[in-house]
Amino acid sequence: MRLAEGTANAGPVLSVRGLKVAFAVADRHVPVVRGVDFDVYQNEVLCIVGESGSGKSVTSLAVTGLLPETARVEGSITLGGVEVNGAGRDALRRMRGEDVGFVFQDPGTTLNPVLKVGRQITEGQVALSRLRPAEAEGRAVELLRDVDIADPEQRVRQYPHQFSGGMRQRAVIAMAIAGQPKLIIADEPTTALDVTVQAQVLSVLARRQAEMRAAVVLITHDLGVVAQVADRVAVMYGGRIVETGPVEAIFRSPRHPYTRALLRSIPRMDTDEVRLDPIPGQPPMPHALPAGCAFEPRCALGSGRPRCREEEPPLSTVASEQNAACHFVDEAPPAPKVHAMARPKMAEAEAPPLLDVKGLKVHFPIKSSVLQRTTGWVRAVDGVDISVRAGETLSLVGESGCGKTTIGRTVMGLVQATAGDIRFDGQSMVRLGPADKRKARRRMQYIFQDPYSSLNPVLPAEDIVAEPLRIHGLYDEMGGAERVAELFDMVGLSRSMLSRYPSEFSGGQRQRIGIARALILAPRLVILDEPVAALDVSIQAQILNLLQDLQAELGLSYLFIAHNLSVVRHISDRVAVMYLGRIVEQGTRDELYSNPVHPYTQSLLSAAPDPDPAARHSSRRIVLEGEIPSPAAPPSGCVFHPRCFRADARCCAEVPAFRPYPGLATWTACHHAGPLEQNPAALAEVSR
Amino acid sequence: MIGFVLRRLVQLVPVLLIASLGIWAILYAVPGGPVAGLVGENATPEQIAAVTAQYGLDRPVVVQYLDWLRRAAVGDLGVSIYASEPVVDLIGQRLPATLHLAVAATLVALALGIPVGVISAISPGSWIDRALSAWSALALGVPTFWLGILLILWFAVDLRWLPAVSGYVPIWEEPLTAIRNLLLPAITLGVYVSGILARFLRASLVSELRADYVRTARAKGLPERQVVGIHIMRNALLPFITIVGLMMASFIGGAVVTEAVFTYPGLGRLLIQAISTRDYPLIQGCIVVILILYVAINLAVDVLYAYVDPRIDYG
Ligand SMILES: Nc1ncnc2c1ncn2[C@@H]1O[C@H](COP(=O)(O)OP(=O)(O)OP(=O)(O)O)[C@@H](O)[C@H]1O
Ligand code: SF4
Ligand code: SF4
Ligand SMILES: [Mg+2]
Repeated sequence: MRLAEGTANAGPVLSVRGLKVAFAVADRHVPVVRGVDFDVYQNEVLCIVGESGSGKSVTSLAVTGLLPETARVEGSITLGGVEVNGAGRDALRRMRGEDVGFVFQDPGTTLNPVLKVGRQITEGQVALSRLRPAEAEGRAVELLRDVDIADPEQRVRQYPHQFSGGMRQRAVIAMAIAGQPKLIIADEPTTALDVTVQAQVLSVLARRQAEMRAAVVLITHDLGVVAQVADRVAVMYGGRIVETGPVEAIFRSPRHPYTRALLRSIPRMDTDEVRLDPIPGQPPMPHALPAGCAFEPRCALGSGRPRCREEEPPLSTVASEQNAACHFVDEAPPAPKVHAMARPKMAEAEAPPLLDVKGLKVHFPIKSSVLQRTTGWVRAVDGVDISVRAGETLSLVGESGCGKTTIGRTVMGLVQATAGDIRFDGQSMVRLGPADKRKARRRMQYIFQDPYSSLNPVLPAEDIVAEPLRIHGLYDEMGGAERVAELFDMVGLSRSMLSRYPSEFSGGQRQRIGIARALILAPRLVILDEPVAALDVSIQAQILNLLQDLQAELGLSYLFIAHNLSVVRHISDRVAVMYLGRIVEQGTRDELYSNPVHPYTQSLLSAAPDPDPAARHSSRRIVLEGEIPSPAAPPSGCVFHPRCFRADARCCAEVPAFRPYPGLATWTACHHAGPLEQNPAALAEVSR
Repeated sequence: MIGFVLRRLVQLVPVLLIASLGIWAILYAVPGGPVAGLVGENATPEQIAAVTAQYGLDRPVVVQYLDWLRRAAVGDLGVSIYASEPVVDLIGQRLPATLHLAVAATLVALALGIPVGVISAISPGSWIDRALSAWSALALGVPTFWLGILLILWFAVDLRWLPAVSGYVPIWEEPLTAIRNLLLPAITLGVYVSGILARFLRASLVSELRADYVRTARAKGLPERQVVGIHIMRNALLPFITIVGLMMASFIGGAVVTEAVFTYPGLGRLLIQAISTRDYPLIQGCIVVILILYVAINLAVDVLYAYVDPRIDYG
């Protein structure tokens, strides 16, 4: 997607002025969008970024009148010169079908499960008489082909559950472009997808958009995606746009304190910064907004200043095409704090590993539904060796379904290993009796991904944290209530919150409770399963810093399970990359990120969007084809061969051994392992 | 699909075995028996013994059961003690009547329940929704015998439009008479369950209305009629089918009150009569037949389900 050109004379496709949305909640109106102005021009991509609850989705839904009836919408929205707000039902309907295409976040739920995909793609056009019913299927085939779906003639007649996640999202894109719209609105279109699939979907969207010269409003919280696709950026906070400007300006010279803080709080793959700079506090709740600037309570520049407290700053021009809503834009930003080294020194390589997993296999039976016969096996983990030394962080990365979580759960003893050995502190866990196992497990704790469902909602926080003490009968021995209070201090929660219930905590605070609960038995190993994946970036940075501090203070070992490569780079000492139940490459963090030798690692690193707009022109991307195959029927030979750009006949037949790569501190499982530059021909083939 | 149906039918065998054994056990655990009623109050012990032996009731319980089972396996359900007619014939006379009533009542329930449910779901809180929810509460609250009697008083006694006593006439022989006969009992049963159906449909529609695919459907410019009629309805009907099936199954043996009010010759009344006279073979036969119908309806529901929901693959 390129910067808009020759659009100065044509008017904007979409123009929003003074948009306000309030929801009727228990006989009062809660404002969630509070005066938003923006324009989008033909062939231009406007990205709206902001944290959860900042009003991004509500803004996009208001544009086409899709909000529920409890919403009160004020302001002016003109689409192609026609006013939308207050338009009649039929006019709105026509506009949605003809002028706007929508792509929503979760491809698992945006399609109707009981209707054929082909029908769903074209039915809007048929209903508006823009397509004859007899031609609908042919058109649907064409559209599916346009979004790179193989074998579209068969696929049109299938149902959504027969599509993979990435294919469903491409079908949704086909639906969005079916009417050749002037405007495409995409609300977090790739958030639910794996990085290699995200790269495919973004590339399809970009190609079709460029062809139609459509205007695009892309909503995301991922600054990497913004840097890769945006022409212009609007940053939302507390229901308003606080800064807007060309993408380079926003990333290179952000002027609003929130934008600056947001950019500093994300872990990056291209720097060795050891400590993140989180934004303190929480985003405001719409029903309890501060009186003046919504960012004031968290702002390094304006916090406590009377003017910021009392007066809401208007959005005003700060540079050519760049606007920011801040009273003190011209003041120098406070110097970034210099942080002490938080990371522990790398553990001694000679020390015996605390956790040593050898040849681990976990296979789950597939039962036929009627007679409960085992008809096959899901090879969730299929021969994995990993070890974690005292005081270090080993990360397991890979896309969804590759078996990361199963390894963590098996180490914890929540899942039975099919084969292999798990040694913890020199003791084999597989052969221990239940009592000894329990005892050993005290030294091993688990932190879950979802801070919302992993805490018992009917227990006060202190009881949740004390639970492991009670389970192991150590409540009094380990200090009881005082120990619980200590843990609260340790994870940065106020002791006044001890008796509150989970629903009274924010996502970040809940994750702190989860951490406190895991640490109360003074474990030596903590298994963290996507501990920050459900959190906003500013909160994510707080939790990552906390985890690093705790590790240094208590000498903890972490087995860190994640799919976000920047987060993994930030926190790990060593990294293991997983694909379909196996480790394909493992090495020290620096070696793995700077000299990846396995084609899958190389593809993953290349697909992860870099939060730097300059990178989109320079970096060559590998866009992998297809998606992870089912672990119930893994491909022959090297399991990666159907998607690998170096695959040859040998790869299809022979399983590559996991062995050290000569000259590097890396182990890998590939017949043709090597740096990317060694295969320029292959690369040219895959980069688009 | 055929394989699935066959497997389900095979699974029916143990169900029937256990059920019949259970009924037999209960019948014999309860004191008293059919003989006392047959011989009269002043019978001598000798007479009682003779009658008991005549019906084979003096044999050990297990032998009686196995004997019954052996015959039932080839379709012989024995002879009714009181009516002295083969149980199969007695049931055969009642079964078509019961099926007629069940189908008619289901149609009435759907005709009332679906519109009520849909309208109140798409305009929640409106006066029409409130009026309709009052209706469904009323429909649920009114006892069936009371509604039945009321209907008889109006339509049969006052207006003389319809018969007060509903005999059974096969619909393919005299359609008009059959409908006139079925109308009042079908309304009585149908109104009652239409309240349940309406509430159920409303709840499942309301939850579907919030689904993401509904927003997608609106976003592509579909008229509301199609959004509700096709997108939402298809999904909301899935759980609804199960409820309709259960309801229809309940009409087979459970419409006793309505059958009694209209003196309608259904299976429910036959079963009650059999129980009150301890007519063991007839009780056993009625329950087995009701059970088979019950399973057949459930099977039909599952087949329909697979047809409407593409995610289900019975292989
Ligand atoms: N139908 C509704 N009724 C009441 N409040 C709502 C409704 N829809 C959204 N809100 C509120 O409006 C605010 C803004 O929501 P919105 O969905 O626009 O956030 P967002 O920026 O898209 O966040 P996310 O990143 O989580 O998608 C939130 O506080 C949300 O709770
Ligand atoms: S107005 Fe004040 S509080 Fe708001 S962003 Fe600017 S300096 Fe910070
Ligand atoms: S073994 Fe072959 S298919 Fe597998 S990753 Fe290496 S080159 Fe690719
Ligand atoms: Mg959103």
